Amino acid sequence: MKNAIEVNNLRKEFKAYSSRSGLAGAFRDLFTRNYKIARAVNDISFNVKQGEMVGYIGENGAGKSTTIKMLTGILTPSGGQIKVNGMNPHKEREKFVQTIGVVFGQRSQLWWDIAVQESFRLLKKVYKVTDEQYDDHMNHVIKTLDIEPLLDKPVRKLSLGQRMRCELAAALIHNPPLLFLDEPTIGLDVLVKLKIREFLKEVNEKYNTTILLTTHDLSDIEALCERVIMLDEGNIIYDGALKNLKDTLGDGKELQFQFLEKVDLPAVKKLTAALPVKWEHDEKEQIFTANMQNNDELISQLIAKIVAAFKIKDIKINETSTEEIIRNIYEKGAVEVG
Amino acid sequence: MVFYVTMFFQYMSQYIKTRLQYRSDLIVEFFSDLMSQAINLVFILVVFGHTQLLGGWSRDEIIFIYGFFLVPYAVFSAFFNIWDFNERYIVRGELDRILTRPIHSLFQIILERLELEALLGAVTGLAVMFYAGTRLNLQLDWFDPILFIIFVIGGALVYGGIFVMLACVSFWADAKTSLMPMMYNISNYGRYPVNIYNTVIRFVLTWILPFAFVGVYPAAFFLEKKEWYIYSFLTPVIGIIFFALSVFLWNQGVKKYRGAGN
Repeated sequence: MKNAIEVNNLRKEFKAYSSRSGLAGAFRDLFTRNYKIARAVNDISFNVKQGEMVGYIGENGAGKSTTIKMLTGILTPSGGQIKVNGMNPHKEREKFVQTIGVVFGQRSQLWWDIAVQESFRLLKKVYKVTDEQYDDHMNHVIKTLDIEPLLDKPVRKLSLGQRMRCELAAALIHNPPLLFLDEPTIGLDVLVKLKIREFLKEVNEKYNTTILLTTHDLSDIEALCERVIMLDEGNIIYDGALKNLKDTLGDGKELQFQFLEKVDLPAVKKLTAALPVKWEHDEKEQIFTANMQNNDELISQLIAKIVAAFKIKDIKINETSTEEIIRNIYEKGAVEVG
Repeated sequence: MVFYVTMFFQYMSQYIKTRLQYRSDLIVEFFSDLMSQAINLVFILVVFGHTQLLGGWSRDEIIFIYGFFLVPYAVFSAFFNIWDFNERYIVRGELDRILTRPIHSLFQIILERLELEALLGAVTGLAVMFYAGTRLNLQLDWFDPILFIIFVIGGALVYGGIFVMLACVSFWADAKTSLMPMMYNISNYGRYPVNIYNTVIRFVLTWILPFAFVGVYPAAFFLEKKEWYIYSFLTPVIGIIFFALSVFLWNQGVKKYRGAGN
């Protein structure tokens, strides 16, 4: 299959100026300014195939938005090569953007003062979409996203959820083969989120649209993406199937104990020293958490030992959540999955 | 090219629609514009009422130059309404949106920021020219209107070019202060005959910040001041050169755009 996105040793550096303190410092700044070169994106490489849905995740400031902005041609890379839809985004910007759709969750693509349908009409002209193409494609989009009643309202009068659905429709007017979504569900309620997810799945199936999605909401990723690329301080720390990540790292259970009487951690640790268990202790809530492999035998043994020694108030058995896995990854700073 | 012309009309009709939505605003604005133009007119006549001769120019000639200046200035104001470029597009990151659309970024911004009511100023300008022209007994030749249009476009391009270049500074410097107020002050010099200034200022107004090409030089042609004819005919040339330069600078600047954080 064809690659929609090819990224090779991509790098972006920003000059970060720092000012000296005091008046004398300000005068010195006039002539020579201190700056540090900060690498927002550090020599990353990856490919995305046509039709893939990829989750691009990372903490704030990990370099997600910077990468997306380079892939969409907004920013010029400091080094490395990008090929998106067979083009260099920044070099052939005007021709290139014809083949992509972009939604920035925190920034409106629509004109604030005019009715939604007027925005659509203008964008239709901007992207040189013919009437037949528009009718054929957009009628369906409008119906699926349920924005028909919103079309004659100005954008400034829409709620966030309504606006986001319109933004999404606007990004699809020219039916691009590649869609970039930067935080598309930020601040939305559950129902709108579900609707948007369903819609994206449908678009992907129907048109084989490639979707690159950044989000803080991991449930978005779980619902949509088979593959995740995880970024930390400008480096890719994981690139692969979401399932792998869960199987390998999430292949564990978490047992939470609360005791009736005061128990201290070393005592618990001593008691279970023979078993492969890692203990954590939440001082405030007095919750003892045991992380272990998903092994029924082991779990029974652990419970048996604990119950025999201490009086139990509460026990919970949890599967490790994706969120937990990802938190762990960031704490450790690396992933050992292939 | 055809595409750009179509897009221009598309955006313009959108602009008019938006304006019509706020009907009361439109009417109020129209009258306040009309008022300010009328005040402008009275002001010009009062101020120049006391001057007689200035560097070889008569009172009516100076008024005529001022009137001419108002026309390219109105055209410029209608199309280059980018005073807040730094604030709106760089600091607030609106340029992100512009850059994801398949039209040249500068053209898009010009289209988005159209301010067509500023063209009303041209009416004042024409009225002033007509007043001064009648008093000077100026003859109107068949080619005058054509040259007038060419000179007006040239003047507006000079203004636009310098303005865009100043806006480009925002791509490199991340300071919030803009050079725009300074630009406004200097631009006023072009309204008066340049030979009343000393040579340095004259040189600057002709070749560096060529505001003289917006007012006095092209107007001199219609006043039949033969010694200035070369400069008059240079107007469209300077306009095109400066505007082309500004577009070049803009294209370089866009590569330096750093984007705004979310």
